[in-house]
Amino acid sequence: MPHAGLVVVLPSDPQSLDPRFGTDANSARLADLLHVALTRPGSDGRRVPALAARWEVPDPRTFVFHLRTDFRFPDGSPVTATDVRATYEAVLDPTIASPRRGALAVLSAIETPDDATVVLHTREPFTALLDATGLGVLPAARARDQTEVAIGAGPFRLVEAVRGERIVLRPNPGFPGGPPRIDPLVVRIVPDEVVRVLELRRGGAGLLEDAPEPEVLEWLRRDPALRVTRVPGTSFAYLALNLRDPRLAQRRVRQAIALALDRRALVRFVLGGAARPASGLLAPEHWAYAPAPIPPHDVRRARRLLDRAGFRDPDGPGPRPRFRLVYKTSTDVARRRLAEAIQAALAEVGIAVEIRSYEWGTLYADVRRGNFQLSALTWVGVGDPDLYYLTFHSTMRPPAGYNRGGYASGVMDRLTTEGRRTLDPERRRAVYARIQRRAAHDLPVVPLWWEDRIVVATRRLSGFVPAADGALDSLARASLD
Amino acid sequence: MGAAGRRLLALVPTVVGVATLVFVLVHLVPGDPVDVMLGEWAAPADVQALRHDLGLDRPLLEQYLRFLARAATGDLGDSIAYRMPVRRVIAARYPATLALAGTALGLALVLAIPLGVVAALRPRSAVDRAARVLSLAGVCLPTVWLGPLLILAFAIGLGWLPVSGAGSVRHLVLPAVTLALGMIGVLVRLTRASMITALGEEYVRTARAKGAPAWRVVAVHALRNALLPVTTVVGLQAGALLAGTIVTETIFAWPGLGRLVVQAIDARDYPLVQGCVLAIAFTYVAVNALVDALHRVIDPRFRHES
Amino acid sequence: MNRDGGRSAVAAGLGFLALLALGAAVGPRAFPLDPYATALGERLRPPSAAHPLGQDALGRDVLARVVYGARISLGVGAAAVLLSLVVGVALGAVAGYAGGWADEAIGRLIDVFLAFPGLLLAIALAAALGPSLVHVVLALALLGWTGYARLARTEVGALTARDFVLAARALGAAPSRIVVRHVLPLAAPTLCVQAAFGMASAIVAEASLSFLGLGAPPPLPSWGSMIDEGRPFLLVAPHLTVFPGVALAATVLALQLLGDGLRDLFAVRD
Repeated sequence: MPHAGLVVVLPSDPQSLDPRFGTDANSARLADLLHVALTRPGSDGRRVPALAARWEVPDPRTFVFHLRTDFRFPDGSPVTATDVRATYEAVLDPTIASPRRGALAVLSAIETPDDATVVLHTREPFTALLDATGLGVLPAARARDQTEVAIGAGPFRLVEAVRGERIVLRPNPGFPGGPPRIDPLVVRIVPDEVVRVLELRRGGAGLLEDAPEPEVLEWLRRDPALRVTRVPGTSFAYLALNLRDPRLAQRRVRQAIALALDRRALVRFVLGGAARPASGLLAPEHWAYAPAPIPPHDVRRARRLLDRAGFRDPDGPGPRPRFRLVYKTSTDVARRRLAEAIQAALAEVGIAVEIRSYEWGTLYADVRRGNFQLSALTWVGVGDPDLYYLTFHSTMRPPAGYNRGGYASGVMDRLTTEGRRTLDPERRRAVYARIQRRAAHDLPVVPLWWEDRIVVATRRLSGFVPAADGALDSLARASLD
Repeated sequence: MGAAGRRLLALVPTVVGVATLVFVLVHLVPGDPVDVMLGEWAAPADVQALRHDLGLDRPLLEQYLRFLARAATGDLGDSIAYRMPVRRVIAARYPATLALAGTALGLALVLAIPLGVVAALRPRSAVDRAARVLSLAGVCLPTVWLGPLLILAFAIGLGWLPVSGAGSVRHLVLPAVTLALGMIGVLVRLTRASMITALGEEYVRTARAKGAPAWRVVAVHALRNALLPVTTVVGLQAGALLAGTIVTETIFAWPGLGRLVVQAIDARDYPLVQGCVLAIAFTYVAVNALVDALHRVIDPRFRHES
Repeated sequence: MNRDGGRSAVAAGLGFLALLALGAAVGPRAFPLDPYATALGERLRPPSAAHPLGQDALGRDVLARVVYGARISLGVGAAAVLLSLVVGVALGAVAGYAGGWADEAIGRLIDVFLAFPGLLLAIALAAALGPSLVHVVLALALLGWTGYARLARTEVGALTARDFVLAARALGAAPSRIVVRHVLPLAAPTLCVQAAFGMASAIVAEASLSFLGLGAPPPLPSWGSMIDEGRPFLLVAPHLTVFPGVALAATVLALQLLGDGLRDLFAVRD
């Protein structure tokens, strides 16, 4: 590896290097490095200017973006409003079959009054549109290609991509503020986690983005050539509940489940301390965060609640449970371990849990359709709090939205609709504070924790700041000594 | 048409059978590519739209017939995940698996057969004992376990070899050895047993009693007979070897077909899974055809029979 | 190996397996072993007096899990082989006895399954059916049936032409009776040998399935799942993978010895 080069190891191939197609986390990470979008996610959930220097919302259905003129594609040509328009129109085109079409479906028209201005019109008032403007911009001439297009105006340009093996990036010479100093940046795909760690130890890799087990982390910490960095994260881990189930429909039962879990112990022993017990979807860093009670660990109270809900324990402390629930999880080892820990915790209050582990495709299919009773999921990258509408409004049950648990509350319906329609940020903040307290009371999902981000890198790397959502974009300003 | 031609034609129903089996199986698995692409939190309304865009909501029979018809002309369709022809995706990864499996096979043959023969010629010697140990070790150490241990020993401990990936002959060593071990175990035992049987034949014992050098000529003849069951087993083991690449490639991050298939199944990339399985089946059939031919060359009796 | 060697190999293999089965059956009753009791605060403890083989990532006793794992791995292996055997022999016998188009059709089916990469079949089936031990057995059974089918087909086919079968047929005996009473017992030795090897590969295949997340569902401690769960900790807590790995290797070894011994004992030719 040349002195100024860095090797990053990832567990799996990004789905696509084309911003129109990739939807997984690894695709997003590479998109940050290869492309530039109108806006970027900020650390507090609000959008931050990227290609767009600033924007205005003159009326609830119109967004006007004023573009910077100094972004360049690798061949030197400038990025203009035409490119933006072509990319968005391509995503909306059914023949392209882009999985991002749904997010932009609310757009009714795109105008480009001049080279540096883009106007987006929506069909109905939609404050959360900004979240969808993280779409990387492709050159207009290539935006309609049916095959993968990986040309972008990001800090790096693509030199070579051998699917499933490695992706080689070099600095984009025209990047505003100067090209990155890391040259080349190689992304290697190594599926086995032990082998990833060994590569780091041997020096075959310089950056490991997804955290290994805590004990392994300790082992890595002892290596003087490596540095372990931890930042508080915003990924929200929670227990999804199906409220259509007659037992989970009762708030007392949901509360009992929440009280049966010792979050501190779980975080300490199952996650190695790399998380913060959570009160709800929004982490404290989020602009709309409002403190709400975190369920404590209270086994006696949990048992009393279950008794009062009508589910007595047939033999007291004996092996017969009050009732059984099925817990669906993925085949990921860490997830299964969490499932087993939760199973043991719920067994203590008399709820028998049967764990069924499915691989991703099957699990997604089931969860999306609402075909589950319990499942532990993680929400990564919360942007606009309008997410509450999509997950808790009664009309957002599948197939319309993300309300897979089938939660229906008149109060929540009113509040989330209000949050969607309110434009004034301070008033919005107040509405969402009420929503957070309501969610902590009703427990349509049982909050677990906000997961931290842990990054292991070679000490020679300086200037790299791990982002709360796992983004790698600070590599643009990092360098190797 | 000739025997060779008839034999080739007999392969067609097998290949169609494999194609049908893989189509049925992969569609039996719950979830579809859209579920995977859009992940946990996509609006289900978009799922319908994308499914339609990708042509996944057409009746299964139509999709099956279309698949067969195109496959017959060599067109395996487009990969849903990679957005390029399946043929190109496979062509990029196939050579790596071939290199890995081929090297493993070569290693196994070069190590196992001579070892088995010598062990048979010198029973109860140190070589014989070594052969027994190696054969048992090869067969009962799971790759899942052995792979990382070898990396720890040779890449980290001794620092001779790279940890994972591809790119040079040195990268090939550990994965090929890991993959070969299972086959070595089987072949050593088989060669030894087969050689012992061949050496126990009447004509060999007579020649031996009469003394060298006639005995040596006869021993070579015995070797030929001993190798017959070995070649058959090699052909059958080819399937196991290809299956073994799945685990080995995943552990060593070897960019081959084995790992691609698992990823494709995870992503429910139907055309890619179907294409990969057909490619692997083809290889298996080709290897066995080769083994058949080899059999005919080695065994004079066989030649007369057909 | 001669007959004596064969006898001792069989004895060694059977002996170990019997010991294992006994331990698996009786162990839990004799000692206070709980493979499911978690102790979060004692994660990854090395072997100690209270826990002779150490504790896993949830503080569970590894010894207890290995003993319980014997039940599961042996049970799964035996069940898969049994199912494989019954289905394979049935199909093969039909093909060998009936001949004609049934023979052709079944022969083709065997070819298709042989050409299909084995592990993939198991993966697809396990993924399609969902996570349960029964489904794992089904998937593993699918891997080996062709071997028994081919054997049965050849043996039954060869024996069907013999005089005694023709005689029985002339006397009006039902085909199934002929096959089961007279023909199959002659093929039994070879089938036994294959079954021993088959069980060994089924147990190893379960470990591969576990590696891909499709093995025994949690919290069942099959050796394959234990190895998979312990893999991330290979560098810091090797006892999690070493003990189930050794157990697995020893069992497979015993089965191989058994198969080898039986083969020599019955003077079976491959």
